[in-house]
Amino acid sequence: MRLWLNHLRRTPLVLFLILYTILAGGPFLWVMSMSLRTTPEIFDNPYALPVRLHWEKFANAWTNSNYGTYFWNSLIVVVTAVALLTLIGAMAAHCLARYRFRGSRLVRFVILSGMILPPQLLILSLFQILLDYGLYNSLAGLIIVYVATQLAMTVYILEGFFAQLPQDLFDAARMDGYGDFEIFWRITLPIGVPAIFTTITLNFIILWNEYLYAVVLLTDDEKRTLPLGIMHFMGGHQLDVGMIATGLIIAIAPVILLYALFSETMIKGMTAGAVR
Amino acid sequence: MATVTIEELSKHYAGGSEPAVKAVSLDVADGEFMVLLGPSGCGKSSVLRMIAGLEPITAGTVAIDGRPVNHVPAKDRDIAMVFQSYALYPHMTVHANLAFGLRRRGVPGDEIDRRVRGVAEKLGLSPFLARKPHALSGGQRQRVALGRAIVRDPKVFLFDEPLSNLDAALRVSTRNELIKQQHELGTTTIYVTHDQVEAMTMGDRICIMNKGEVVQIGKPLDVYRNPADAFVARFLGNPPMNLLPARLATSGDRAVARFADVTVELPGYPLAALKPYLGATVTLGIRPEDLYEAPPPALSVRAQQIATRVLAVEPLGAETLLMLTIGGSSQEIVARIGRDTALRIGDAATITLDPSALHLFDPTTTKAIARTA
Amino acid sequence: MAESAAPPRARRVAWLAGDSIADSRQAPMRTILLFLAPALLVYAAFTIYPVLRTFYNSVHTIGPRNVQTFVGLDNFAALLTQDRVFWKAVVNTALFTVVGTIGDVLGGLLLALCLFAKVPLARTLRVVWFTPVLMSYVVVGIIWVWLYDYDWGLVNLLLGWLGLESWQQSWLGDPATALWALVVTHLWKWLGFNMIIFLAALHALPEEVLGAAELDNCGWFAKLVYIIIPMLRPTLVNLLVLSFIGKMMMFDLVWIMTGGGPLWSTETVSTYVYKRAFNWNTFDLGYPSAIAVLWFIMILLFVMLITRLLRSRDRLEF
Repeated sequence: MRLWLNHLRRTPLVLFLILYTILAGGPFLWVMSMSLRTTPEIFDNPYALPVRLHWEKFANAWTNSNYGTYFWNSLIVVVTAVALLTLIGAMAAHCLARYRFRGSRLVRFVILSGMILPPQLLILSLFQILLDYGLYNSLAGLIIVYVATQLAMTVYILEGFFAQLPQDLFDAARMDGYGDFEIFWRITLPIGVPAIFTTITLNFIILWNEYLYAVVLLTDDEKRTLPLGIMHFMGGHQLDVGMIATGLIIAIAPVILLYALFSETMIKGMTAGAVR
Repeated sequence: MATVTIEELSKHYAGGSEPAVKAVSLDVADGEFMVLLGPSGCGKSSVLRMIAGLEPITAGTVAIDGRPVNHVPAKDRDIAMVFQSYALYPHMTVHANLAFGLRRRGVPGDEIDRRVRGVAEKLGLSPFLARKPHALSGGQRQRVALGRAIVRDPKVFLFDEPLSNLDAALRVSTRNELIKQQHELGTTTIYVTHDQVEAMTMGDRICIMNKGEVVQIGKPLDVYRNPADAFVARFLGNPPMNLLPARLATSGDRAVARFADVTVELPGYPLAALKPYLGATVTLGIRPEDLYEAPPPALSVRAQQIATRVLAVEPLGAETLLMLTIGGSSQEIVARIGRDTALRIGDAATITLDPSALHLFDPTTTKAIARTA
Repeated sequence: MAESAAPPRARRVAWLAGDSIADSRQAPMRTILLFLAPALLVYAAFTIYPVLRTFYNSVHTIGPRNVQTFVGLDNFAALLTQDRVFWKAVVNTALFTVVGTIGDVLGGLLLALCLFAKVPLARTLRVVWFTPVLMSYVVVGIIWVWLYDYDWGLVNLLLGWLGLESWQQSWLGDPATALWALVVTHLWKWLGFNMIIFLAALHALPEEVLGAAELDNCGWFAKLVYIIIPMLRPTLVNLLVLSFIGKMMMFDLVWIMTGGGPLWSTETVSTYVYKRAFNWNTFDLGYPSAIAVLWFIMILLFVMLITRLLRSRDRLEF
């Protein structure tokens, strides 16, 4: 496609590239810088670089402003939900991809149609349901809801991948004497690792950032996940921009870290739902 | 070691208009190498899969050692299968691939290791035991697939076109390797292929299938020399047998066939056998190798000469193929002659044919006309 | 000894017991149920049941302590005829969705084309440009609230440097600009996503076709319009629909940045549902459920309409 370069004049393109890169990445650098400055410093000159790096703000946020609690809550909820999603999603996907049985089309349709359900259709009833079952305002309740909301997408991605595994492999395993569960455990899962990684990434990011369900279904400060914690803090300390910035960095740090290590996997994971 | 008996085996796939397999019956003797040969879609793979237990049987029985196994799951039939795509477990080493089936059967660990190493040694795979399939060449993968079957020491081996993914040279050497292994082990083997060379060289007997039915079963050379119908006649042999329409008539007390201004005698067919066809048109077959440029001295006295014109010459190195038209007609035949020919396109050539090598087939049923009344 | 398919008793036995059947594509029902049960149970209890219950709620008034009164289609009637806020929210959401979707898809295509042109560092740029997609709306929202700040926000600051003082606004405080400010933020977050998808689609285009076009003396613009875009059509339609659905359901961004204000200029259907359910002086879950149901039906109809309008020969998947 060097044909493109021959026709586009280089300079405007390069200029655009630089500008957009600043636009896309700039705000984060700004927040990072603010997270290490005190609020008075920020109001003095919002866009300057830190003079002194105030690392103690992070410790402060962690303990005094409860960000530590929020972080752990998010971690527990997301890790558990993703683990559950991967396991039961893979089981359902394997079953749908490998076996013919009456009603498989219906099951598939029902599960996959979950991908277009708007949260508003579910949130109010889930509120009632969790209240009824005493799961309201509990991490366990949120975990189960998270599993339910991401199940359709997970099964969609995994089933697509599993269906492409050659049937011969499974025939050979059958002849070697392996039963259905062993085939799932020893063949589908190990070979399906790329797709599983993809769904883990996707689910992790989406659930780590999730706000609506959490804000409806959790009320105790002790149970808040990070997005909620930040908004709560913002509600009470709107002008403490420095501290809010520190909180934001705590929230995005794991994501940035994973992104730095696994950028390709994460990009593929996040877009997997839209590409087939 | 076991016999395999198939009776009236049928398979109908849901949504298919025709059954894929129609009442196939076959007896494989203990230790025999039986080849199922046929074009794509003839049902041979379906038969194999039904024997293996990977495909449900619509009708008929499969029996191993006399015991019907229709409802016995694949793993309990004591059968090992080598797949066309090898189906090696990509995430396991060669050693693990070979050991996989044994572990399941409760064979003790050191016994497994012993057997795996033994088979690896036999097939020249010892240096690769720690590698994963993606690090192996096609030929090596094929041997691992074979090894996986051998190490199980089953009653029956099933092969589903195992050589089709190999290049030509590798195919020949692997073919010989397979034959050698099977002879040493003496295990009953059923081998599916569409390649007639494999069938001819490997099988103790071959079973030719077409459109879901068995057409002929017999020793390779018997089937080659006495094809049961026109399909078999053309399927075996390269280039395929020439088939042309011919009219039968009598000449004195003998029957003769007339095609394209040529009259030939039919020493292989007594007059009584041809009674129903006299005066009618039948299909006449002659193999390209039974047409000669210069008659070999050993040929029978009744060798006949026909006038032809050369349409095309294909020198293959060791021999030459000629495309000829007979006499003044447009009937084309192919002849296979020696490498030292001076014939060119457009030449008139006199070709000798061996009348005792002629085959006759019923024009409507395409079956071979019997040589006895 | 010819047997036809397994006698009924044998089939039933296989149903309950046994590890495998003589068919590699089947398993006993028991096994299949075990594989599917966890997923189906969770799904039934926490997705299907809530949806049904929402429909049930929509024809009731659900007061405190779960006092339920059947009201038939009253909620819907009130919604359609008397609720001005609802209709304002619908208009806002529709505007947000239409403009946002077009901007999203075109912007994503533009970015993809830029990177497709084999610019240096394309891989790195790709990674950087994708970053906003990974951030939560809380992070994105707060950052842009600051950027839009009238006094010290970067947007107004830049306008000042460029000598465009007259353009400085209270972006989120002015009902005329608030919605569009949200659209810009939303685009900032999502352009990278569409870019990646378009990049993948562009790379999948057959080189030979583009080469042939070059030989046919096609300039870059002609190539773009006559060849690339038509060949990207399935991807385009897919993304349009995906983007559309996502924006129709948008809650987080609006709630975090403006809460629906000022003066309902950014009120969307989803924020309105939330408000009616949890921030209203009377507690009634029935009415907001009706809103949700109505909105879901409207989304479905829009999607079917768009799909029908833009449907190419390829099957649409999302």
